[in-house]
Amino acid sequence: MALVPLAYNLRSLWVRRASTFLTVFSIAATVAVLAGVISLEQGFTAIFAESGRRDVAVFWRPGAQDEGSSIFKPEYADVLIKNSPDIELDASGQPLAAAEMFLAILREKVDAGGVVFVPIRGVQPMSFTINADRLRTIEGRDFAWGNDEVVVGRKLVGRIADCRIGDVLMLNTTPFRVVGVIDDSGPFAGEIWGDLERLRVALKRDAYNRVIAKLKPDVDWPALQERQRRDKQVPADVYSELDANLRATERLSRILTQLGMALAAIMGVAAVFTGINSMLSAIASRTHEIGVLKSIGFTAGAIFSSFLFESVLVGIVGGVVGCALSLPLNGIQTGAMNFNTFTDVTFAFKTTPTVLVTAFLFSLLLGIVGGAWPAWRAARMRPTEALRHE
Amino acid sequence: MGSIPLGLLWQNLRRHWLRTGLTMASIVVAVFLVCFLRTLIVALNAGIEASANNRLWVQSAVSLFVDLPLSYQPRIASVPGVEETCKFQWFQGTYIEPSNFFAQFGVDAAALERMYPEMRLVEGSFAAFVANDQGCLTGSATAQRFGWKVGDVIELEGTIFPRPDRTPWTMRLEAIYDADNPNFDKTMFFFHHNYLQRALESGEALGNQGVGTYVVRIAPGADATTVMAGIDELYENGPQRVQTTTEAEFNRQFVSMLGNIPTFLRSIGGGVAFAILLAALNTMLMAGRERTRDFGIMKAIGFRDSTAFGLLLGESLLVCGIAGAIGLALYVGSAPVVATAISRMFPGYRATPETIATGAALALGVGLLAGIIPAWQAGRLRPVEALRQEG
Repeated sequence: MALVPLAYNLRSLWVRRASTFLTVFSIAATVAVLAGVISLEQGFTAIFAESGRRDVAVFWRPGAQDEGSSIFKPEYADVLIKNSPDIELDASGQPLAAAEMFLAILREKVDAGGVVFVPIRGVQPMSFTINADRLRTIEGRDFAWGNDEVVVGRKLVGRIADCRIGDVLMLNTTPFRVVGVIDDSGPFAGEIWGDLERLRVALKRDAYNRVIAKLKPDVDWPALQERQRRDKQVPADVYSELDANLRATERLSRILTQLGMALAAIMGVAAVFTGINSMLSAIASRTHEIGVLKSIGFTAGAIFSSFLFESVLVGIVGGVVGCALSLPLNGIQTGAMNFNTFTDVTFAFKTTPTVLVTAFLFSLLLGIVGGAWPAWRAARMRPTEALRHE
Repeated sequence: MGSIPLGLLWQNLRRHWLRTGLTMASIVVAVFLVCFLRTLIVALNAGIEASANNRLWVQSAVSLFVDLPLSYQPRIASVPGVEETCKFQWFQGTYIEPSNFFAQFGVDAAALERMYPEMRLVEGSFAAFVANDQGCLTGSATAQRFGWKVGDVIELEGTIFPRPDRTPWTMRLEAIYDADNPNFDKTMFFFHHNYLQRALESGEALGNQGVGTYVVRIAPGADATTVMAGIDELYENGPQRVQTTTEAEFNRQFVSMLGNIPTFLRSIGGGVAFAILLAALNTMLMAGRERTRDFGIMKAIGFRDSTAFGLLLGESLLVCGIAGAIGLALYVGSAPVVATAISRMFPGYRATPETIATGAALALGVGLLAGIIPAWQAGRLRPVEALRQEG
């Protein structure tokens, strides 16, 4: 079957350029909104997912939904660390494991005003050893063990009150001095770290919140999880750091994904209507031409594919423009509440390949759905009637 | 502007009924979406709107996740100007599954009625709630969501307060409240703090013995600022510092914690409005092009320029106006259903006159903008040229 030359479509798009332009931009706006929402979700998830390791285990109290609601009595945490055969040992034979305290503390935002919950983490020396490969002190120094000192995550500096080196951070009635800034590819860059025991005293916390441990290679995960769950002395849920991180982000991530899908569906309907409108108008004004095409031998299939192609082309161009419009968002810092921990998370829009591919496929879909029916109408025209049309 | 032949305007709309229909459908969708997003933003602030002036909230100065000792309550109650205090302990139990989330609080049952005069019981009684140590009271929205009636036994699985024997927390629904103020949260669930406390003391349940917040009602005429300062001073030197705020301020902190989420919603609404403006403009330009010949004839037989202008502008306004009205009807009609569906995140979702006005302004604004360019073009047409055009 002979196809209608593509130049015919390109020229006709050019002839009705005002309409083409408006359709392209209305598809582009839809695609850009979708891409924006997905890149938010990607940026948020990336902080937690990409930094999560599979060989680091996180122990939570059975049934705990998040780190804050997980509680271990100090003596039980020690038992757990000593008795777990899967935990890797360091050169001196010490288990590579640490108990940690986690609390979302209320702090003022200096940039936008208002208050947020900022995560503060009481750590043990092993916490640094386990995270040695990713945690860096980028300014100042580490806090000294046994002292009322803290280090703050890079993302807090300048955003949260009293989070610069030299500042005094009041925790309940105890002043802590900020002595350093830490950076991390994951969530620690938004946390305050201090000596577990000093923070527990200051904040009057009896319990620890979690235990983390570096595991030996080739650990049998299901067996470890089963054994720890049934442990008589210290029952606990065990997750890989990756899974624990994903659990801690699941709510906001789901909200953003659902929001993106709902918006795409609703705005997509409107964009498809626009596409159909401009295709119908284009076809109506070319009725005579269609008659000519048919009478010189082009089949209904050829005409159908020609007009469908035209619509898909508009969709694709709209998709590309929409992706381009969303690109400047990439890297822009923003903040939102993580609904699992209620803490503030600073993250950047992240235009990943997933975002671009999804947005592009979506625009393709809009082009196909918007063009199919008008193209079918064009293909069905009877040459004699079409030719009679002026 | 001379009179516009309305019959002709109507005929023009019908001439391309399909196109008119599709354009209207897109505008319906856009108006609905923009109204929906705006309502979400307004709903976030519903808690602040519903705040009472005579209630103060006492929380730990460190964090809402830090409990205050139970011993604080009598001392707070003795501060001059304090009329009544009530424990408010966040419970976060799971009802069947985690996605069934609703806010649950362990409270001083006897103080609740006087603390919240806004609550109007629609079923059961405060007396029955107070009398039953394992009784509970919930808002009409939550009762409706789960189909609860007074007398139902409700089982919650503890998350912050687990029970080692894995039995659920068991309560009997004694009353259901409603409220006349549409911003008042109708999803809350209250039970006796005593029930929780007894279980913690006996070791039946695990968790901290304390209270996240105390609600305080101040005496009529008492100065809130003085009372707040008086309460905060009590624990200036520990053991656990407190921060007392007005109810509005207490609720405002939750909104500020959402960070840029309201901004996201606003930007999305802007994107939707922009996309729809382009769509409507596209349709009206097409309509304008098609009418060129008609307008040429009209002008040739003596109609004024302004008539052509008015016809196209009127058509655009009519299309957008009708579509806007349908979109708004959809928005208002769906509000109760949507409110139920998203009550977990946005307990204050409801159609408001301000949002309806915003939607109407959007529809007419788009109609005006989309109509004015083709209308202006049509008004400037020269009859000879217009007549020469075919199709």
